[in-house]
Amino acid sequence: MKTMRIVAITVLCLTALTILGASYLAPAGYEQQFRETPQAGPSAHHPLGTDDLGRDRWARLLYGMRVSLTLAPLAALFTTVLAGLVGGIAGYYGGWTERCCKLLIDLFLSVPWLFLLITVRAVLPLNVSPEASVTVTFALLGLLGWAASARVICTGAKDLMKSEFVWQARAQGFSGFKLVRLHLLPNLRGALLAQFWISIPVFIIAEANLGALGLGVAEPLPSLGSLLRELQDVVTLRPEPWRLLPLAVLIVVISSFQALLNKQEVRA
Amino acid sequence: MELLSVRITISYKDKPPVLDDLRVDLQPGEILGLVGHSGCGKSSLALAILGLLNLKGGKALGSIRWNERELLTLKEKEWRKLRGKEIAFVPQSPMSSLNPALRLGTQLEEAWKLHGQGGRDQMEETVFRSLLDVSLPAKEEFLRRYPAEISVGQAQRVLIAMAILHRPALLIADEPTSALDAVTQSEILALFGELNRRLGMSLLFISHDLVSAYTLCHRIALIHSGKIVECNTPQAIFFSPQHPFTRKLIAAIPTVPSASEVEESLRFNLFNS
Repeated sequence: MKTMRIVAITVLCLTALTILGASYLAPAGYEQQFRETPQAGPSAHHPLGTDDLGRDRWARLLYGMRVSLTLAPLAALFTTVLAGLVGGIAGYYGGWTERCCKLLIDLFLSVPWLFLLITVRAVLPLNVSPEASVTVTFALLGLLGWAASARVICTGAKDLMKSEFVWQARAQGFSGFKLVRLHLLPNLRGALLAQFWISIPVFIIAEANLGALGLGVAEPLPSLGSLLRELQDVVTLRPEPWRLLPLAVLIVVISSFQALLNKQEVRA
Repeated sequence: MELLSVRITISYKDKPPVLDDLRVDLQPGEILGLVGHSGCGKSSLALAILGLLNLKGGKALGSIRWNERELLTLKEKEWRKLRGKEIAFVPQSPMSSLNPALRLGTQLEEAWKLHGQGGRDQMEETVFRSLLDVSLPAKEEFLRRYPAEISVGQAQRVLIAMAILHRPALLIADEPTSALDAVTQSEILALFGELNRRLGMSLLFISHDLVSAYTLCHRIALIHSGKIVECNTPQAIFFSPQHPFTRKLIAAIPTVPSASEVEESLRFNLFNS
């Protein structure tokens, strides 16, 4: 178990360094086209070859990781905080507050979010920069993703409110925010963290799907999602296995996070 | 002059009242035992005195006078200043009454911060003093533990330490020993007696066990069908019980069998087999 931890920490440190040092490790940049050599195999110049537009895959992977692995966790954090807040308030107060919160949750669960995203993107001017579009995309994902987990948190909080240690805390004089912060949230930590970690890959993939509709990250900016989209072309994948690297990176990074998380969860 | 004087009718929803015009008084420094069947409304009374009854959907009518103040008309904000500071509570099941996600030290410190005044030094001093009061190790190592890492008896001691943190005038103990084994039970009872003598703290001891009430209390009140049927010193209750309910309870107390009884039952078993 300890080796797992060390491996996970090493992987995450390496990832962080790679993301930070993208401009040194891949001086070509993600948008420069090598027009003489499109769809090339791995070489000294291009460790992962080039894509059909002649762009260096290695550079695109590094910059894609930078975009996705920064913004997806941010969006996941936002979702988790929102879910904890709404679910926690609903579970703590119960009664009318709970009904109102549940109404809001149901509303968000039934919003056809794909259309909302399309609408929002349509409202944005066409010449908006790729950076702005990627931020808007993840912000929307974060804003729309909280409802389902808020329900889980609400139920959890309601159960906790009936537990004996919460009664004991009330008898000691705890109430309101202090009760929520000390007695509800630490005991909902597991559920909230699970929500957080589940959201990250979901958001990365959701962004990839949106990209397929032309709604995700705008070209030429790469993201892990847009790189995963290249895998759709299954036929050419077998002779070029290095193209699977974005997928491998995603899996390894997420599992490293989870390996660390499991260790901390042992107590609860 | 009474510390606490209760005249109360408690009912849940539209059902008939669990406690019907129950009257009980408590003197400063006194240990009063409330004894009755499970479900006779003993815990509802504790919740009413702590102002938490409405959260369980109960309704209290009548009056609870505490130090010349009427509690039933108190606002929630004023209740909060009272709970844990002047009136403290020790629960029935120690293990599930401690927050499993927080270290013992954190729980004690946060309980101090609710009503305590002063800096970190003051807090540490009070926490350690409370731990010593209940004969727990006043060590950093102990405070870093989680509730899952201590025994049930220790957990109950931690809860008592938490309750006496602010030196309340009244401690309400709701079946504090029913989740404990016989030895731990007698230790905790002894601890209550000692805290009462040393700190002059009044104790409302709620129990279904007449024997532990006998060893600890100055006065015992017996609750039956929503009323107090008998209230007297333990000696009077045990040796000249007046009410049929009291007699029934005393008759139900298990006794250590005498040598002749053991012999009798042995012979009976042999004869039958």
